Amino acid sequence: MFKKILIANRGEIAVRVINTCRDMGVKTVAVYSDADKTALHVLMADEAVYLGASEPAASYLNMDKIIDAAASTGAEAIHPGYGFLSENAGFVEKCDQAGIVFIGPPAAVIRDLGDKITARRIIVNSGVPVTPGLTSTEADAAVMTAEAEKIGYPVLIKATAGGGGKGIRIVNGSEEMAGACAAASREAVNAFGNGAIYLEKFFTNARHVEFQVLADTFGNVIHLLERECSIQRRHQKIIEETPSNIMTPELRAAMGNAAVTAAKASGYVNAGTVEFLVDENSNFYFLEVNTRLQVEHPVTEMITGIDLVRWQLEIACGKELALKQEDISGRGHAIECRIYAEDPEKDFLPSPGKIVYLKEPAGPGIRNDCGVYSGCEVPVDYDPILSKLIVHAQTRDLAIAKMLKALKSYIVLGVKTPTDFLMDVLQSEPFSRGQVFTDFIDAHFSDWQPNLPDADLACAAFIADEMAGRRKLKQPASAGNAVPTPWQTLGNWR
Amino acid sequence: MDYQLKINQDTVPLEVEDPSEDHFEITIGDSTHDVHYAMVHDHQIHLSMNGQRVNAYVSDQDDGKIIVIRGKTYFVQDADVLEQNASRKKGLAANPTEITPPMPAVVIAVSVKEGDIVEKGQGVVVVSAMKMETTLFAPFAGIVTRVNVAEGDKVMPGEILVDVEQAGQAGGDNAG
Repeated sequence: MFKKILIANRGEIAVRVINTCRDMGVKTVAVYSDADKTALHVLMADEAVYLGASEPAASYLNMDKIIDAAASTGAEAIHPGYGFLSENAGFVEKCDQAGIVFIGPPAAVIRDLGDKITARRIIVNSGVPVTPGLTSTEADAAVMTAEAEKIGYPVLIKATAGGGGKGIRIVNGSEEMAGACAAASREAVNAFGNGAIYLEKFFTNARHVEFQVLADTFGNVIHLLERECSIQRRHQKIIEETPSNIMTPELRAAMGNAAVTAAKASGYVNAGTVEFLVDENSNFYFLEVNTRLQVEHPVTEMITGIDLVRWQLEIACGKELALKQEDISGRGHAIECRIYAEDPEKDFLPSPGKIVYLKEPAGPGIRNDCGVYSGCEVPVDYDPILSKLIVHAQTRDLAIAKMLKALKSYIVLGVKTPTDFLMDVLQSEPFSRGQVFTDFIDAHFSDWQPNLPDADLACAAFIADEMAGRRKLKQPASAGNAVPTPWQTLGNWR
Repeated sequence: MDYQLKINQDTVPLEVEDPSEDHFEITIGDSTHDVHYAMVHDHQIHLSMNGQRVNAYVSDQDDGKIIVIRGKTYFVQDADVLEQNASRKKGLAANPTEITPPMPAVVIAVSVKEGDIVEKGQGVVVVSAMKMETTLFAPFAGIVTRVNVAEGDKVMPGEILVDVEQAGQAGGDNAG
């Protein structure tokens, strides 16, 4: 096993990787920017190397500085986390050249799967169903229209270099085609420097179901069951769970097989995720492969009991997968909620700032992968994810109840978080029935406003705080928190 | 003491009686409740009201407080202070002629005494309502003829805290 690795990321995912390294006795090197000098991942790692200014190009996206940091600290491998350089084939090549192991798939695999058209061709040839549509890029709106008539509207125009919801247009009829193609292409040029587009079928009542895979360098590939990720806002997931409530043993076996086939066909190595759309009739279609550790990987860890980051390291240092497909089984139900610094009342606009007080939920079956602490600043420069709250319980209903309890006791003061929005989603009738589709938020929560049942208590709290506040000012500043009172230590308050 | 709290978008008039270190009585609408409270730390209050025991998490903002109860976030403001802040801005232009608090308040400081000459806009009294301090200004240049309050006094809107006689009718600043 590696003696020391560098984690080329920040926030909760860097902290999460450090945690497993610590379990394994692997030393860790954190990297950081100006904005992150006292970030949690920096405070936790065995060593920390300063990269540069806060903008990602000068720090977390600066390949040469990161490779230098690994070389100068003697780190044998780099874990990229998610985002930043995690799906950058050029970075993997630079690691290879520097003799540093990249903890992830080979550069060629990342390149192939990162191009949607190449990926579609590989998967079509493997026999796994893909969404109906083109397998080559097309610049001619007339050809697009002909294809759309063949597979039926609505269709999606997508950028081949796409990601993050950019370069995508929904087309409902031939009259919209030319405009949509031009707009998607223009957006793709701006976002990715590549305007190539193609067309695929758009499914209205679709679910987003993905399969976790692990592949070693010996050609062994297994899947670790599915994750249901249909609850999204602005094409970004906010609630994920496993198992998916549409799953039958037969469908799981078929989709799991397809995921393994897709991974094998692309020459996959390390942890990856094969995404599918599932229509109302349980037909499934390959969507894409994410060539990295997913944000939502913890739900899989909860029900399988397998530490995915540990296996990423094992595979990267050349170990053969000791796990066989028949060893993998799920126990109970796990749900993850993403806790972003954002304002659900204002279209989820980010809410950076200082966290003046943080109380993380705790208790049996509750896991909070957290990258912040009381008193830290949430910088404006990066993704606003603060933490991922994950619960594990015997059944879906019990997991929902546990998540509600956990959200209720999750206190973040200083920045806005969507905890009350998430509570309303979890308690909504369509969610509890498992009627989760990718348009869930738009369909049921587009004009969400918080319901505030305890206004009287809030008024009383205001008055009490005023009264106590006058006394508080007279005390020495340190007296307040010196000894934890029973209120802090009793019950499920941490 | 009467308060007007603004909670999210609603204004709630309420009355607080019998305040002590761990208890007060609050009347909201038609109902009166006993509230017992304990400050756990700077950001947490344990409250007991109507048999409900909750933890409220509080963070002070410039213009109010964020209060989290049972996972829901409330933004609570003192409506009187808000109004007063708004009218002070207006008032600076409109030249108010009386030194009186805009809301029930406690006098924190009196910075003038009888016989003092004051300039227009000079701070004469500082009052505090719900932790927010407000300075009351001399409405025009003149001489302090009487100070009606002392530090620690509770004062109400309409009460004249300091009498100022306007300087030289002809040359002085006219309040109109």
